[in-house]
Amino acid sequence: MNRFRSLGTAAVLSLLLSACSSTPPGQPQKDAEPVAPSQVMKFTTLYAQNCSGCHGAQGRGGAAIALADPVYLAIVDQASVRKVIANGVHGTTMPGFAESAGGMLTDKQVDAITSGIFSNWVRKGILDGSNPPSYAAKTAANAANGKLAYRTYCASCHGPEGEGGRKGSAITNDSFLALVSDQGLRTIVITGRPELGAPDWRGNVPGKPMTDQEITDVVAWLASRRVQNPGQPYSASNYAQP
Amino acid sequence: MRIMNAKIGPAVAKIGEWFDRRLQLAAPIREAAEHPVPRKTASWFYVFGSAALTVFLLQVVTGILLALIYVPSAGQAWSSLQALNHDVALGWFIRAMHGWGSNFMVAIVLIHMVQVFLFGAYKFPRELTWIIGVFLLLMTLGMAFSGQVLRFDQDAYWGLGIGASISSRVPIIGPAAVKLLLGGPIIAGATLSRFFALHVFVIPGMLIAFVGLHLLMVLKLGINEWPMPGRIVKRATYEREYHELTKQDGAPFVPYAIWKDMFFTAFIILAIAACAFYFGPFGPTGQPDPTIIQTAPKPDYFFLWLYALLSLLPPSMETPFLLIAPVLVILALILLPFLSGEGEKSWKRRPIAVLTVLLIAITLGTFTRLAQFAPWSPHMNAWSGDPVPDRFVHGTTALQRQGALVFQFKQCRNCHSLGNTGGQRGPALDSVAVRLTHDQLIRQVIQGGGNMPAYGNNLSPAETTALVAFLETLHPAGQSPARDAARDIALGDSSQKTSGGPRRDKR
Ligand code: HEC
Ligand code: HEC
Ligand code: HEC
Repeated sequence: MNRFRSLGTAAVLSLLLSACSSTPPGQPQKDAEPVAPSQVMKFTTLYAQNCSGCHGAQGRGGAAIALADPVYLAIVDQASVRKVIANGVHGTTMPGFAESAGGMLTDKQVDAITSGIFSNWVRKGILDGSNPPSYAAKTAANAANGKLAYRTYCASCHGPEGEGGRKGSAITNDSFLALVSDQGLRTIVITGRPELGAPDWRGNVPGKPMTDQEITDVVAWLASRRVQNPGQPYSASNYAQP
Repeated sequence: MRIMNAKIGPAVAKIGEWFDRRLQLAAPIREAAEHPVPRKTASWFYVFGSAALTVFLLQVVTGILLALIYVPSAGQAWSSLQALNHDVALGWFIRAMHGWGSNFMVAIVLIHMVQVFLFGAYKFPRELTWIIGVFLLLMTLGMAFSGQVLRFDQDAYWGLGIGASISSRVPIIGPAAVKLLLGGPIIAGATLSRFFALHVFVIPGMLIAFVGLHLLMVLKLGINEWPMPGRIVKRATYEREYHELTKQDGAPFVPYAIWKDMFFTAFIILAIAACAFYFGPFGPTGQPDPTIIQTAPKPDYFFLWLYALLSLLPPSMETPFLLIAPVLVILALILLPFLSGEGEKSWKRRPIAVLTVLLIAITLGTFTRLAQFAPWSPHMNAWSGDPVPDRFVHGTTALQRQGALVFQFKQCRNCHSLGNTGGQRGPALDSVAVRLTHDQLIRQVIQGGGNMPAYGNNLSPAETTALVAFLETLHPAGQSPARDAARDIALGDSSQKTSGGPRRDKR
């Protein structure tokens, strides 16, 4: 009986107390109504529902490259990013999100994500004075030169043939190469994977940034290591890898 | 009366007399108020009935207020609730009171019923009171369901769809039943009008009539005495014994017993108001748009157990269960007072009754709990929304990271959780590498089995290789993954070439 009484007084008291505050906690907010999924326009919600699974919770730390990487955002343009989000990257696990590509997002939502990435994560002037390479390859590639560039810039970490070394894992593995696009490789060579300790194009050899042509060539060499039938776990060729 | 006369002015008393001479209600009301109840009965266990009555009255009042604004048409119902929430002064609060009142009412009616059952109050001569009570419970649930439909949001829409599909399974009259329920073959404007009529006229009318009968019988037959172990109910002698008991050890209902009822009722009303104030009204959730499929509609809490049960039953059991079980339950409830109308009342001497109540409570509680996180249904957004936990990204090889991406991309995450996020349809995979070897992982992924789809045709060899390389990293820091001894012998120690180089465990 005493318990009821004290509970009752507690209820009355707290009711009175919070009645003094301006809005009661239970009163619905104006914009609190759940909107239809195709009406969501808030960047953080869209990103959290569609991208954080692969690109990481705050745009970094995911299995796929960090989108909240100011270096990446300084070399890429909005149109390229929008195109990737809308259509995906064929042959990789980056899905197309636009309805035209079988995704669930409207054109407006794709726009909202694209501009949100830039307005939230760009850091102005981060590459001032470092003459960054272009996002997409512009010149003809030479895989033989690429092999030399690989020896110079990459072998110290990824091993002489890309089979993996002490500081970096295998990047000529047939299955890995089958699942990344050439542009994907180029992006990684330029931006690195800062949160995993992979250097960007300036840091492979201290004081010696890669030239645009060297980047193009290294990617061409990596691409030339793709095989006809990647990922056959029991095919002898997998174990006979150099 | 004499005391009152002294206090209130003689004019008022005169008016009162004028009315009473014509209505002649004062005497019966006084008789009812002062009828003796067994002294021990004036207990805190006997307050639920009156609380249910008061909450019902509260529902009537708030319901009338809501009906002033609510528009029962498919096109406008949703927006009229929005108007109540935002534009009408305190509209949200009235909605919240009505919604929480409904929840409280279902709970209180159930508690009341359990108390009556455990105290043997349904036994002779109160069988009919109990049976009417069973109907009152059904009507209360009917009110709760039809009220949820009037919200006409996404939950309501799908709830109704499920209700309709249940009734469509009744043999022979199924289609007609659906038509009666929905006012046509599909959920449309006519459906809402029907449920509005049910919720506002039909069921409340019946409720009021039945509540009246229920109360009348409580008054006529007297409140159940406090059950004493060993005091046996016999048809021949019970009424005389009860009479003697109230004579020897009785006290007038007013004021001796009623203050506890009033106190508890006030507490309940305050609790409802507090919930309304703090948690606000229910919904409306999204618009009832059947083209939106990215939705996980759930019923209100008192039907959650049913939702869980239906999700877990094998499909072949559903129809028999849905059609037979409710009939059996209602029949059992109605027959109860006839099957055990005499005998021991005290729950201390009725172990089976106590066990039955416990069993039902635990079952319903478990199913309700299960329904809250719905482990049987995949989380449709997990693949793109739930990040791969940090510790499964750090120190991985490039191939393993691609495997993590395949894992997300192929929507394994919708059924399998990592680091406690993701679906629960299949087992959590945080330490699957300890349980399964390389070959077993490949087999599971390619062939599926045990409610997991086979991915053989949907994965390229490269994707499978990467995926399995990733799955092999899923083990707690201190434990090593399962190894296949035969493989070790055949291929030597460097057998795990497929994982794309050794996993570097440096942090
Ligand atoms: C299932 C995993 C997955 C999801 C979900 C995903 N991505 Fe990706 N994304 C990838 C992968 C893998 C790549 C690299 C593809 C390649 O090899 O080129 C990528 C590449 C990208 C790129 C291009 C990077 C470059 O090379 O310039 C952008 C931009 C991008 N994603 C944005 C997004 C956005 C925005 C979302 C959410 C709407 C999203 N991604 C959701 C896996 C995913
Ligand atoms: C200082 C050491 C270092 C150097 C030099 C280096 N990398 Fe890496 N690289 C890493 C680390 C660390 C990672 C991430 C962890 C891992 O995969 O082992 C990585 C990852 C990668 C990845 C996989 C990225 C992903 O998203 O999974 C590629 C591709 C790659 N490096 C290519 C290169 C190329 C090409 C070069 C030469 C131009 C290069 N790296 C030079 C350390 C290095
Ligand atoms: C529709 C839901 C669903 C999806 C999607 C799904 N699984 Fe499963 N998975 C299950 C269920 C259920 C089991 C338990 C099977 C059993 O009991 O035999 C399971 C079992 C497993 C196991 C064995 C776990 C153990 O501890 O024995 C692995 C490994 C696994 N799944 C991996 C995957 C991978 C990888 C994917 C994506 C390619 C995937 N699953 C997709 C439902 C799913």
